[in-house]
Amino acid sequence: MANPPSASSGNARLRQTSLWLFKSILPFAALAALWQFATLFFPAFLFPDLLHIVRDVGQIFTSWDMLSAALVTWGRLIFAVAVSLVIGIPIGLAMGLSRGIDDFVRPIVKFIMGVPALNWVIIVVIWFGSVELRISFVLVMLCVPITVFCVYDGVRAIDRKLTDMVLSFGASRLQHVRLLLWPYVKASAFTATKLNVGNAIRTVIVAELVGAPSGIGRELDMAKNLFDMPMVLAWTLVMVTMGFIMSFGIEQAERVVLRWRGGSHGRE
Amino acid sequence: MAVNKLAPVNASVKAGAPAAAVVPKIRIDRARKTFVQKNGGAVEAIRELTFDVAANDYVAIVGPTGAGKSVLFDCLLGLKTLDSGRIEIDGQPIANYIGARSGRITRIFQEDRLLPWLSATDNVALGLQIRGVPEKERRDIARRWLADVGLHEFVDALPSELSGGMRQRTNIARAFATAPEIILLDEAFSALDEITAMKLRSDFLTLAHHQKMTFVMVTHSIDEAIFLGNRILVFGAPARVVHEIAVPPGAAEDRVVADRIRDEIRTWISASGRDASRTVNSELENE
Ligand SMILES: Nc1ncnc2c1ncn2[C@@H]1O[C@H](COP(=O)(O)OP(=O)(O)OP(=O)(O)O)[C@@H](O)[C@H]1O
Ligand SMILES: [Mg+2]
Repeated sequence: MANPPSASSGNARLRQTSLWLFKSILPFAALAALWQFATLFFPAFLFPDLLHIVRDVGQIFTSWDMLSAALVTWGRLIFAVAVSLVIGIPIGLAMGLSRGIDDFVRPIVKFIMGVPALNWVIIVVIWFGSVELRISFVLVMLCVPITVFCVYDGVRAIDRKLTDMVLSFGASRLQHVRLLLWPYVKASAFTATKLNVGNAIRTVIVAELVGAPSGIGRELDMAKNLFDMPMVLAWTLVMVTMGFIMSFGIEQAERVVLRWRGGSHGRE
Repeated sequence: MAVNKLAPVNASVKAGAPAAAVVPKIRIDRARKTFVQKNGGAVEAIRELTFDVAANDYVAIVGPTGAGKSVLFDCLLGLKTLDSGRIEIDGQPIANYIGARSGRITRIFQEDRLLPWLSATDNVALGLQIRGVPEKERRDIARRWLADVGLHEFVDALPSELSGGMRQRTNIARAFATAPEIILLDEAFSALDEITAMKLRSDFLTLAHHQKMTFVMVTHSIDEAIFLGNRILVFGAPARVVHEIAVPPGAAEDRVVADRIRDEIRTWISASGRDASRTVNSELENE
């Protein structure tokens, strides 16, 4: 029963949108200005001109070689994050439901979580010949523990009273999971995915640098060998943007799927 | 004499018609339940509890908090098992009857306990969904029940869009939608303001009457017990019947009778143990 949009509310919305746009651009504009200021005092191979960087970003998007490298890396990210959901959700769910499983699995997951990303990279180079296997393995190992603990926390946080209610209506174990736990698991999966995208993006290059003859890692390696600072920065920008786009997509999906949760409370 | 003074324990069984003539709807026979706590201590929740509930009986239980009333309901639904003693429904042991899963018995809780992501309709349909009723059919039933509790305009609303009273109505509709024979009410109206509670109680009574329901309710409000129940059981802690009072029809409107029942309950509660008198009396003084 929303009010019909009137002229004044349309205006107000326009003003709000532009304010929002301004507010979200401002910090980046400040950063860019600071950078441009630094170029005045440092040699170009350390702090290249912004224009130069922008031109290289344009080059990335117009050269199929480079664009495909970006897409390869992006694909690996999405694949790893998705696989970590498929593996992590059942484990987290089982841990949340059974104390015995929790006691047994938790130390293992914690152990895996404690292994530094670079150690994984070295291990997989020795273990596997296949590039894709190496990279997926590292990323999945990094993401799964986070998914597991997010899902576990989500399941544990469910109000005992709702569980009693569902059981009072005679729900079987499977119905209990499907009707009550699953919506909470979905919420946790979104949290885990957001964390994992950030995680994976920070790690994927390390894995690619050491293990892969394709993807952004290789492009960066070449740029490094040529001391091509603008290109290094252009790739960095592309990757950061990639992360932004992914989190934005996840947040939009979350808004639709978890509509019942409403906005956050306690803030204007 | 409107109010029967009966022997404290096992009253209705002894006072009833010749044994085995009528199978009671619910029979609880020398039930016992003790919890072992994590620190090794034991909490006795139910001790030698015995009482019958006839079909179409409206039984109100009053008793101190922590007396094991909610535990008793868990046992009636088959969610917890007794240490010893028996629960029979229609003459069948609860184990064969599989309690809640049979759909013949449901519970209304104090708080609404609705699932926040489901519309009012789907919440009301939940019990039917669990029993495998097809989607279209269960939604139709749910909408009818929502209309019956006066919420036909809110069938698509999420619980967060309903007021407390509306949520409790949804809760009641959900219990009735499964067409149970027995409803257990665990302080079902105590979270509501008195005006809403009064309206809901009489609506509930009308529905229970129409559906030829049997119900057992736990309440901390003596007036509610007198209004809804035709029998009041005073529980001691751990759960056992220390006294039973028959409520004559119209007692709630008859000041004299109602006062007498109130006094009688108070007397028995203070006699039923120090724990009991402390907790319940303080609740009663607020009335
Ligand atoms: N799962 C459990 N494990 C251990 N002890 C329990 C458990 N459930 C209940 N108890 C204990 O059993 C006793 C009875 O609890 P119950 O919830 O049935 O009380 P109640 O009569 O419903 O009280 P109230 O009027 O406050 O709702 C309490 O002492 C409680 O601590
Ligand atoms: Mg209780």
